[in-house]
Amino acid sequence: MYGTTAKILRVDLTTGNIETQTLSEDFYRLYPGGKALAGYILLTELPPRTDPFAPENVLVFANGLLTGAPVSTATRYVVSARSPLTGGYGESEAGGFWGPELKMAGWEAIVVKGKAPTPVYLWVNGDQVEIRPAGHLWGRFTAEVQEEIRRELGDDKIRVLQIGPAGEKRVRFAGITNDLRHFNGRNGLGAVMGSKNLRAIAVRGNQRYQSLAYDAKTLMGIGGKLAKMVKENPLSWDLQQRGTPGLVEPLNTGGILPTRNFLQGAFENVDEVKWEAYEREIFTASRTCYACAVRCKREVKVDGRESPYGGPEYETVGAFGPNCGISDIHAIAKANELCNAYMLDSISCGATIAFAMECFEHGLLTLADTGGLDLRFGNAEAMLKVIELIGRREGIGDLLAEGSKRAAEKIGGDAPYFAMQVKGQELAMHEPRGKYNVGIGYAVSEIGADHLVVAHDTAFARPEAIQLKAAAPLGITQALPPRSLGEEKMEMFYILEKWNSLEKVTGFCFFGPAPRSFIPPEDVLLSINAATGWNLTMEEALTIGERATNLARLFNAREGFTRKDDTLPERLFTGLQNGALQGQAMPRDEFEQALTILYQKKGWDPQTGLPTAEKLRQLGLDWAVSVISEQ
Amino acid sequence: MKLYAGGHLTFYMPGRKHSLEISLREPTPLREILAQLGIPLPEVALTALNGELVEAETAIVRDEDQVKVFSAVNGG
Repeated sequence: MYGTTAKILRVDLTTGNIETQTLSEDFYRLYPGGKALAGYILLTELPPRTDPFAPENVLVFANGLLTGAPVSTATRYVVSARSPLTGGYGESEAGGFWGPELKMAGWEAIVVKGKAPTPVYLWVNGDQVEIRPAGHLWGRFTAEVQEEIRRELGDDKIRVLQIGPAGEKRVRFAGITNDLRHFNGRNGLGAVMGSKNLRAIAVRGNQRYQSLAYDAKTLMGIGGKLAKMVKENPLSWDLQQRGTPGLVEPLNTGGILPTRNFLQGAFENVDEVKWEAYEREIFTASRTCYACAVRCKREVKVDGRESPYGGPEYETVGAFGPNCGISDIHAIAKANELCNAYMLDSISCGATIAFAMECFEHGLLTLADTGGLDLRFGNAEAMLKVIELIGRREGIGDLLAEGSKRAAEKIGGDAPYFAMQVKGQELAMHEPRGKYNVGIGYAVSEIGADHLVVAHDTAFARPEAIQLKAAAPLGITQALPPRSLGEEKMEMFYILEKWNSLEKVTGFCFFGPAPRSFIPPEDVLLSINAATGWNLTMEEALTIGERATNLARLFNAREGFTRKDDTLPERLFTGLQNGALQGQAMPRDEFEQALTILYQKKGWDPQTGLPTAEKLRQLGLDWAVSVISEQ
Repeated sequence: MKLYAGGHLTFYMPGRKHSLEISLREPTPLREILAQLGIPLPEVALTALNGELVEAETAIVRDEDQVKVFSAVNGG
């Protein structure tokens, strides 16, 4: 068996028991890592309707099949559990160095069950694994904790994955960080980790991925070729130059920059938050993830000093900037630092504060509720104070720490209308009224509103554009308008969703493979085959992605999710208030018809939105047919 | 005319600079200017002429104009 260490580390924090599970080749071929492995474990080991904060919740850290390979952007691992934010399948991916280090330590995944009686951290030093006390780390910011763990263990090259004070306090959108700069932000999985009294997992390894590969020479050759391609491909070159903050101005020009809680699509002060302002005011350097030549990560100054937490990505600039009506790039950088110190998902945090600002402007929240904070759109000082209150669950922060959906239900009145969420998770900073497949992705995603379900529509609008041409090996050849739905658009969605899901199984970043970025699909396939010796076809590879999506769908079916949950916030069916797409709305009837078409393509029942028995058998998931028959 | 090329269109600009100034003696089709610079028209998703959205294929620009062109933005 090649391309894998075939070992899973299993830790029961209640008993302190530590075990090793060895995977079989048959199992590995069906569930070869990341999303697929995590989905299988959750579906088979987590009892339905388990309280996300109960010791019985299962927390999985699963490397992708290629995580740690010497191939740019193959750095990612999945964290998964039942989400306290959505109540459904929880999942979030991160890059950085922790996943590759875990592979070098000899492990494909860590499965954590139970709850430690007192705070602990896990120390994985190759095959030596130890549960250590973490009482002295509890309540402290992430930068201090990383330094303390490295000092305590006497090795500054140890990779530290951890939660922050927000996860300890069970903020429902608390995230997980590694190396302080890479984040499993979404779905509140940091709160699950906190509920288990698990502050951190420190890892050190000394193997090399090449020793696991079927054909290391070919794999190294692909890696070398891709590293050279980064500077010669316009898409990856742009990511290297500007990082994701480069998205701000073009989105604004196109009228699809979420502004003031998605009321508007253009921000009048965009010049103060676009990349040129970011570069001039806060940017200091570029950084990267393990073995990645793209180098899209940003370093910044905050309060006149180098921040230990890296710089805000586009999502963070968008969430704390235009979506809160704020044009102070320094305040946005500070908001990013606070999120990373407390370890909050910056998307959900910014979006929840934008929701609160709209509630405040409509009198649904008052100065008495906010502790005297004038929480109107544009008040950067109030925004920064609220982030800290959320991180500590104090005052208005305790309410907002529940996420916008739960907070809206408690506030009442029109508040639920202002909560821009799907399945309880806040929308990312992408406007579906200008990119309809992004809206379909928000609706059908098993983790709630997620912007990484498919490559966005705008890539495929022009017949001769490089991204459309790069998608040809996937079977996508026809240019389609971003604001369109229907049969052909849903076929595009279906293929792209399988492809993106494959990325989450294999450990590739959204900014690696075409059509979003520079790696030809053929080279993705070649990398998988060089690692494993499988000789997969493209169709077989896409089936791996589809299988993983169906596992997550089955998990949600068991928790009571159906087609009715695949929807969008009501506001998106109304017109944008300004910008290039002023007046444009998501067409409700076309949206519902598109969902029906998509379900049929996916082999899901159009009435319930659940996979059919026939589809599950086709995917080799015969054992899971009972999951749907019990619904 | 001042031209700004955003997103991955900067890749095609001379010296890979995001902006440049071009002297125009007479009104000129933007597509001719983009062709001279080597910016592929299919990659141009958005064009703003003095702040107003126009089509790159048909826009006519003058010496005093400010033009911004952007590639498709893909999120992430």
